[in-house]
Amino acid sequence: MTVQGIGVAVLLFAGVGVILFCCVGIWVVPDTYDQLHFAGPATTVAPVAIAGAVILEESFSQAGVKAVLVAVVMGVTGPALTHATGRAARIREHGHFAALPEEMAAETTPANPPPS
Amino acid sequence: MNIWLIAATVLLLGLIPCGVVCFKGAPIQRLVALEMAGTLDVMVLLLLAQGFNQPPFYDLALVLALLSFAGGLVFVRFLERWV
Repeated sequence: MTVQGIGVAVLLFAGVGVILFCCVGIWVVPDTYDQLHFAGPATTVAPVAIAGAVILEESFSQAGVKAVLVAVVMGVTGPALTHATGRAARIREHGHFAALPEEMAAETTPANPPPS
Repeated sequence: MNIWLIAATVLLLGLIPCGVVCFKGAPIQRLVALEMAGTLDVMVLLLLAQGFNQPPFYDLALVLALLSFAGGLVFVRFLERWV
């Protein structure tokens, strides 16, 4: 097995492993916000690893460029969708997105005084 | 069967936890699982395109990535306002 083949295998293993870990995390963790923490790496780390494996195998051919394009699209849209989902979860929970009074009070501790 | 197709097959196992959450979770948790399943499907299409050595198939992964984002935003807005 060549060094290139080993690199491809390692990147593929990393990408697939991250996604499977995140899927199991979504299943195991009960809280919605914690689930969203697992949704993040699957849309950023895994596409980069798999696109890197394609680049190692194909260099910057048509396939390589398209794989990078998919990784870029996933990297841009994934965090935006995760944020939108978290925002929707909070609005469903509290009726609005703004901070609650007790959350504001927790932020203005002596170690973190309010702005004057 | 090359390493790409093996990786795609293994990756499909990730749909099981997503399906379980989609069946049993609260509505917003089902949406999170649906988004994760969309991400997983994009990666599977990417690996299949490389495994079958068909560069035009990469377009499927790209289109699914864009459409799952748009669909996810629609579901988010729907859950945020009405359900």
